Parts: sequence; structure tokens; C-alpha cells
Amino acid sequence: MLRYIHFTDPNSAEMVRALERVPRCPGTCFFMDINRSTDMKYLGGLKDWGRKLNNTFNYLLFANHFQHNIVKGIGDEMMLYIPDEVLQKKASNNTCFALLEDIYSGLYLIRNHPDPDLFLNCKVAIHHCTEVYNITFFKGANDYYGSDIDLTARLMGKGIENRIVLSETFYKRVVEDLANLGLPPETGCLSRVSERHTEIFRGVPVTTDYRFIDVQ
Amino acid sequence: MEISELKTNQCVIIGITGRLDTTNYSILEKKLMDLIEAHNDKILVDCAKMDYVSSSGLRILLMALKKITMAKGKFVLCSLQENIREIFEISGFTNIFEIYATQDEALKVF
Repeated sequence: MLRYIHFTDPNSAEMVRALERVPRCPGTCFFMDINRSTDMKYLGGLKDWGRKLNNTFNYLLFANHFQHNIVKGIGDEMMLYIPDEVLQKKASNNTCFALLEDIYSGLYLIRNHPDPDLFLNCKVAIHHCTEVYNITFFKGANDYYGSDIDLTARLMGKGIENRIVLSETFYKRVVEDLANLGLPPETGCLSRVSERHTEIFRGVPVTTDYRFIDVQ
Repeated sequence: MEISELKTNQCVIIGITGRLDTTNYSILEKKLMDLIEAHNDKILVDCAKMDYVSSSGLRILLMALKKITMAKGKFVLCSLQENIREIFEISGFTNIFEIYATQDEALKVF
């Protein structure tokens, strides 16, 4: 549940108590970034840029039923967060495997769409978060903070056009979902998953394992 | 999701009932690919009873369209519910698929 943090007294003891009481909100965080849109703004003009940004955001959100999971957009990037309890209540596509499969299919459709003038290619970073808190410092806004959100943003640094970067934590949940469904770990887009890579990201005090899937 | 199949003189009619999602898109994929491989290159997909689709399902429809177009066949959709039509529109599918309001209308084009 979202907590609005707003105290006028900078030394408020109540503020500290309020922050201490904020519960964790585990879930899946993903960042979706549209490639080359900045170049297009200058080369193709605002109209073409705006049209393709509209189309791509709309497609990624509505065709995958993510429209209620958007946290915020920053230019040509958007952050989405689906708490575990929300994901489990979905009537369809309510597992990490389903999320990954739909995101893969979304990027596939954009890359292979018969009309190349509608959408812009994307890159995505996904992580399953446990160290995360649903708070905001801005009235009327929703947001999530925590070291796992930072990590998801860092994973995006390993992204290139038409690539999904997934943390090892998220990958393991997908494999677990497949096992629960009685399916092998190379089902669907996982047949294309890379080997495990390890990286020390700036600001993250421990090593991070991740994999990626390039959309063909 | 349930899939029905009806072979007529004009085409094969595939009916989808329920939710086409990541747990079952591979069933539709196999059905369509089996038909195409068996040289059934005139297919009508009736979506009247399909009430949910996401990218995974859309991808299968696009793959089928590409294969049948290459085989010089015809792949047509009909009877989309309003929420499904909106997703097709956002996906740019209404301009690349032949889509008809009813099955009767769609059958006339074969």
C-alpha cells in the first residue's frame, strides 16, 4: 500500500517512525527504454517522434495489459512495477514466466512488424525485487524505492536494442514457474537465454548475476 | 481457451473461445502451423468468443499471417470483441490483417 511521506519538520521523529513502519512490497520491476528516439527528435521532427513514441508506449502497455502497472515515464523510458500480490490476482499471465514471455513477444512484434514505420525498437531490464518500499514524497504520485529498484535501473546499462536483460533472481523465478507448470527450463523465449554473467554495478556493494535474451 | 476447427468448401474455420494467453498460445501455434504445413492455406479465425489476448497470442497470429502470405494463401479474422479490436488497433494489426465484422461477411472473401 502506498505511503505518502510528508513532514514539515526536518527533524521529525514521527517521520523516522513512519519510515520504519513502511512494509516491504515484493514484486517485479521492469524498465522499458525506447531506442534512438532522441536522434529521431532531431532528424525526423517532433511529429514523427511523438507519433512513434505514442504508438510504442501504447503497444507495450495495452497489448500486454500493463497499463495499470506504470509507475512513471521519464522521456523515452518507463518504469513498471507489479507487486507479487497484484500479479497473483491477475486472471491471465500471472507468473514471472508469463510476464517475460509477453515482453519478449512484444519486442518481437515491434521488431518484425510488417509496417516498419509504426514503432521504435526497445530494450528492457527486469528484476524481481524484495528490498522495495511503496512510498512517495510527492502528493498524488506513486513510486517505489529500494536497493532492488536501483539494481533494476543498473541492469538497463547492459541493454541494447531488442534485448531483455534479466537478473538471475528473476530468471530463477521464471524457471520455478516453468517447473510448476511441468515445463522444461528452455520453454518459450528461455530457449534463447544467454549464459549467466556477473557484474559489479556502480553503487551496488555486491556482485550481480544476470542473463539476457536477444529478440530475433 | 478452447479451439474448434471446421473444414468447409471455402476454408478452415478456427474458433477461439476464452483467453489466449501465455499458458496456451502454443496450442494455437501448433494448430495453425499444422494446418499450414498440411497445405490448408485458406484460414478464417473466428474471434467472437475470444475475450483476452496479449502479445504472445498476437505473435502467433502474425507468424501465421506471414507463412500463409508466403504460400499465397489467405488468412482472415472475424468477429472481434470491442476490447480485442482495440488491442489489434494499437498493435497496427487492423491495417495488416483482413478483419470482418461477422463470419458470414468473412466467408464471402474466400
